[in-house]
Amino acid sequence: MATRHLIVGGGTAGLNAIRTIRAHDRGESEIVLVSAERPYSRMVLPYYLGRSIAEAHVFTATPAHLAQLQVQAHLGRRAATLDPAANRLTLDDGTVLPYDNCLIATGSSAVRAPVPGADSPGVHSFWTLPQARGVVGEIREGSHVVLVGAGFIAFTLLNALLARKAHLTIVEIAPQLLPRMIDRTGAEMVEKWLRRDGVAIRTGATLTAIEDAQGQKRLRFRQGEDLLADAVLMATGIRANLEWLQGSGIWVNRGIVVDDHLRSSVGNVYAAGDVAEGLDLVTGQPAVHAIEPTAMEHGRVVGANMAGRNIAYRGSLLMNIVEVCHLDIASFGAWDDPAAEAVAATRPERWAYRKLLWRGDRLVGAMILGMSSDIWTTNDVGMLKGLVQAGSDLGPWKEHLRRHPFDIKPAFIAAGTTARLLPQTILGRPSVPVGPVM
Amino acid sequence: MQVLRIIPERCTGCMRCELACSYVQTGAFQPARSVIRVAPFEAHTSYAPYTCPQCAEGWCLTACPVGAITLSPVGAKIVLDDQCVGCKLCTIACPYGTIFYNPQTQKAFKCDLCGGEPACARACPTAAIEYVEAETADWLGAFAAERAPRHQELQVAGAGVR
Repeated sequence: MATRHLIVGGGTAGLNAIRTIRAHDRGESEIVLVSAERPYSRMVLPYYLGRSIAEAHVFTATPAHLAQLQVQAHLGRRAATLDPAANRLTLDDGTVLPYDNCLIATGSSAVRAPVPGADSPGVHSFWTLPQARGVVGEIREGSHVVLVGAGFIAFTLLNALLARKAHLTIVEIAPQLLPRMIDRTGAEMVEKWLRRDGVAIRTGATLTAIEDAQGQKRLRFRQGEDLLADAVLMATGIRANLEWLQGSGIWVNRGIVVDDHLRSSVGNVYAAGDVAEGLDLVTGQPAVHAIEPTAMEHGRVVGANMAGRNIAYRGSLLMNIVEVCHLDIASFGAWDDPAAEAVAATRPERWAYRKLLWRGDRLVGAMILGMSSDIWTTNDVGMLKGLVQAGSDLGPWKEHLRRHPFDIKPAFIAAGTTARLLPQTILGRPSVPVGPVM
Repeated sequence: MQVLRIIPERCTGCMRCELACSYVQTGAFQPARSVIRVAPFEAHTSYAPYTCPQCAEGWCLTACPVGAITLSPVGAKIVLDDQCVGCKLCTIACPYGTIFYNPQTQKAFKCDLCGGEPACARACPTAAIEYVEAETADWLGAFAAERAPRHQELQVAGAGVR
């Protein structure tokens, strides 16, 4: 009998696993997909909101495409219970699916601030496609939009909201913008930059309630004046979709604990993406990296292992990049490691900021701000990522970078970083493109 | 596959590759849009061009959430403009710093080997860039490392090398 692979979740991790399995076996195994939604990329929803792409562009696999991959898809269904002893998954409609091996890649859901009125009409999350459609229908030119939360997800929405000519106010409970992505100095630069584009910002603001106010929404705070809004967008965090695994016996810590092959505590059950607690490339410690690149790499590694290969994963590198009003903001690795040796420098006239973090002679993290028209910004984002990924001792180049954090290239090249990186592949072979979904 | 082999000892720093690259890639002579970039070493006494090594992993290609980066018939990783949404994930995933972003078009752009006739190689007057059948390699590491002590010395002296 053909091996039956069960993929629970049709997001980035699940789709990458499916494609990797098929790249290996060309259709010999059975693949069953359970996905609450038709597969699409959450990453590109902001571009749909900003009208730079059509809704059709967000899909990562059409039904025809899934059929071509010989996937039996249960779309619109959710996993209800997993019985690892019997190798069976039960869906929310009672369907029972037996498997030989199973991938749990159920992703995350948006969480709203726990205040009265947070679930009332006119308050939106922007995480799923239906939620995105709701926001698209609500925002008009001149709408006053209050964005609650100033994290990465909120920031991916800024350009789109401004492109729709909304008047924007950002409120954040932490004392700074992007508190889990950049430090205070960087956040102050971002704040100044955004104010120039007419964005109002209130940090250190604790929302206490959202009330109806004659067709508008009134936001109340612990301190300071109320805000009136035509629409409220909540980007106050995400939570991994793990509740359904209670009682399954799968070991869950901050996420599903996985080994370097992305196997859970049950050998034929894998986990990937936002629900997985796997290795961090920089620290070698377990971590949950709820980011697109980790979901992609996890998915590919699981796919290869499900298909019978023996692929150990070196770990995921935390990284985030977002561009707002032509300012690039990026951080990766141990950018906020309090035990690391940090070197920072600014070029205020170019809105540029760099922070490099060291453990010994090894670069373990970095933070970069700069105008996206400045070619050095992207150049250095990549090279700093390369230095962290290569993990090499930089010897005398550490001193160079300490003194000249804007002069990355000679250090990158002379340290032989390219030679260290070229043999690195995730799956031990050249990657295969999947191509766009037409 | 044919790759761009760089022989840094031959580079004179004339920047013709950057001009040719930007012209073929964008229709205008604007080195800021070139995807091959000449790096100076030792206080501008030697130079070497640096560009995408067309690596086996294709970090840009696998990072793209919408499949907008693919392999061209000559084996280059290329950006499909009508698919790219401009999310920049590729620019942070590429550990070589060789995929860029154009804020005007809101698209990523990179070396596509000019479809098999790389303009940089044709424009180089000293054959420091060759388009040949070879394994991709770290063409510049040893060259730069030899010049490193002098670079660091100048930096420490405050000569402001870039």
